[in-house]
Amino acid sequence: MVTKTEETQLNELENQVENGGGGVWEYLCLVRKLKVRRSEIVLKHGLSILNDPGKRSALGPDEWTLYEQVAIAAMDCQSLAVAQNCIKVLQKKFPESKRVGKQEALLLEAKGMWEEAEKAYTSLLEDNPLDQVIHKRKVAMAKSQGKPSLAIEHLNKYLEVFMADHDAWRELAEIYVSLQMYKQAAFCYEELILTQPTLPLYHLAYADVLYTIGGLENLVAARKYYAATIDLTGGKSTRALLGICLCGSAIAQLSKGRNKEDKDMAAPELQSLAATALEKEYKQKAPAKLNLLTSALRSLKIS
Amino acid sequence: MNLGFVIGVFGVLILSHAAYSTIQYRGLLKIMEEEFSGPTMNVVLELIIGLVLCMWAALTFPGKFLSIHPDSDENRAVSLPDNSDFMIFNHRGRLFPPEVNMKF
Repeated sequence: MVTKTEETQLNELENQVENGGGGVWEYLCLVRKLKVRRSEIVLKHGLSILNDPGKRSALGPDEWTLYEQVAIAAMDCQSLAVAQNCIKVLQKKFPESKRVGKQEALLLEAKGMWEEAEKAYTSLLEDNPLDQVIHKRKVAMAKSQGKPSLAIEHLNKYLEVFMADHDAWRELAEIYVSLQMYKQAAFCYEELILTQPTLPLYHLAYADVLYTIGGLENLVAARKYYAATIDLTGGKSTRALLGICLCGSAIAQLSKGRNKEDKDMAAPELQSLAATALEKEYKQKAPAKLNLLTSALRSLKIS
Repeated sequence: MNLGFVIGVFGVLILSHAAYSTIQYRGLLKIMEEEFSGPTMNVVLELIIGLVLCMWAALTFPGKFLSIHPDSDENRAVSLPDNSDFMIFNHRGRLFPPEVNMKF
C-alpha cells in the first residue's frame, strides 16, 4: 500500500525528474518499491540511464533490474522494439533464466500473439507448476482478450490453491464490479477486510459495493463501513464522508412511513456531522467549490 | 558526534562515579566499624542527575519515534499499489504512443 508520506515523496521526485532536476535512479527505485504504474516516465528516464554507458555501469548489479523495469514499461507504452532489445540483453546475460522467460512471454502478450504466449506459459508451468506469477498472467491474458468470465474461472481456480493472496482477491473483486456482479464482489471485499482489517481502502470499497446493491439492510451496513473508514483515516477520507451523507438520505427515504424503530435508523445527527466535516474541508481546500457542495447536500435534504 | 550522544556518555560517567563513591563510602564505614544505613546525599544527587541525562540521551539519540496512529500521514494508506501481476497491455494507451521517440 502507498501511504500519504510516500505519495507526497513520489510526487515530489516525479516533479523533480520531469523538470530535469536529477534523482532519476531514486525515482525508479521508489516506483519499483511502491509498485505504481508510471510506465511513460519510467521508460523515458530509464532509457536515458541505459543509453549512457557510464551511468549504467555505475549501477552495478542493479543494472539488470533496470533493464527488466524498462522492458515492462516499454511494453506498457507499446514501444515493442525497445522492450525486445532490453530482453535480448537480459537473455544474453542470463541464458536459461525463468525470469527472463517470463519477460519473453510478456512480450508475446504485448504483441498480441496469444497462442504463442499461452504456449510459453504452459511450458514454464511444466517446470514449476506452483508459480504464482504465471497463474496470474493466465488470468490477465484472459482479461486482456476481453473474456472476463474466463478470467473469473481461472482466478477462482487459483484462489482455491492460494487463498491468502490478497492481490488476487482484489483483482477478482474488480472484475466482478466491472461485470456488475456486486454480490460476488462484496464477498471478495469481505475476504480482503478479513485479511487486512486495518486498511481503510477495503472498507471503503466494500461500503461502495453495498451501497450500490441497495436495500435498507445493505445501506445500513454500508454506512457502518463508511464510518469504519472515517475512523481508520481520522476523518481524512472525503469519499467516506460523502458516502455517509448519501447512505443517510437513502435510508431516510426508504424508512419513510415505517414504525419508530426503523425511523431511528436514519440517524440524522450522523449525516449532519458528516456534512459539517465536508463543508469545513471544502472551505479549507477548495473554497471555490463550496457552492457545489452545499447545493448537493441540500438536494439530499441535509444541512 | 551529536549532542545527545555526548550527554549520554556524560550521564554514564556520572552513574559510574556514583557507584565508585558508594564503594569508597562503604570501605570507609568498614574501617570506622559503623553500619551502612544508606548512600550519602551527593551519591543520591548524582544518581538522579545521571538518570535524567541517560534517559534524555536514550530518547533523543537513537532516532525519531514512529507514529502508531493509523490515521497519521506515515500510516494512512491513500492508494493501493497497481496490481502489476495482473497488468495488461491491451489498453487504450496503445492508441497513443509516447510522444518522444525512443531509441535503444
